[in-house]
Amino acid sequence: MNRFLAVAAALALAGTAHAAGNAENGKAKAAQVCAACHGAEGNKPTAPENPILAGQHQDYLVKALKDYKAGKRSNAIMKGFAATLSNQDMENLAAWFASQKSNLHFQR
Amino acid sequence: MPARTVLAAALLALCGAAQAQQPAVPSHLQNNLSMCIGCHGIAGYKTAYPHVYHVPKLGGQNPAYLVNALKAYRSGERNHPSMRGIAASLSDKDMEELAAYYGGPGK
Repeated sequence: MNRFLAVAAALALAGTAHAAGNAENGKAKAAQVCAACHGAEGNKPTAPENPILAGQHQDYLVKALKDYKAGKRSNAIMKGFAATLSNQDMENLAAWFASQKSNLHFQR
Repeated sequence: MPARTVLAAALLALCGAAQAQQPAVPSHLQNNLSMCIGCHGIAGYKTAYPHVYHVPKLGGQNPAYLVNALKAYRSGERNHPSMRGIAASLSDKDMEELAAYYGGPGK
């Protein structure tokens, strides 16, 4: 019974873990698309107006990319880049950046 | 010197040290911050409407980016309903102060 419960719990967790992005695929895509402005790991933006992505919440990053692509968030530069990304690319990029280290942190 | 006096003096000294570590936040900034804390000040908080996702971490973010984000909410370039309402009530100076509070090195 205990083992059954453990398996059930693991399955439940896997279900909530999101249509999992692949961080390694995200890393490759980031090098082509994002690195020039945000840094390869997303922790060294080349201009102060560009956000730090490393360590940001994964689901927020996906939401931001989808909003850029859909035109719900207006930014001429990001709209152009996001337009080239598939949903899977966005999940992969978010998985990559969310798992990188930076000074970004929760603060009250 | 009686022991009680020494103890009192030590406690006072500790209080002073504790206050020195936490610089006072001006009251108008504290008022504006109270709008942020309701969502961004709760670790792991998720939006409930219109989509469910973690609200972004603000600590350590680039201040110039944070100011631009607030201005984009105020102008409608970004469209989250709660953030639009809050940004509409903020002046440019308010936004710069909030961005300076959250941005930069860890606190």
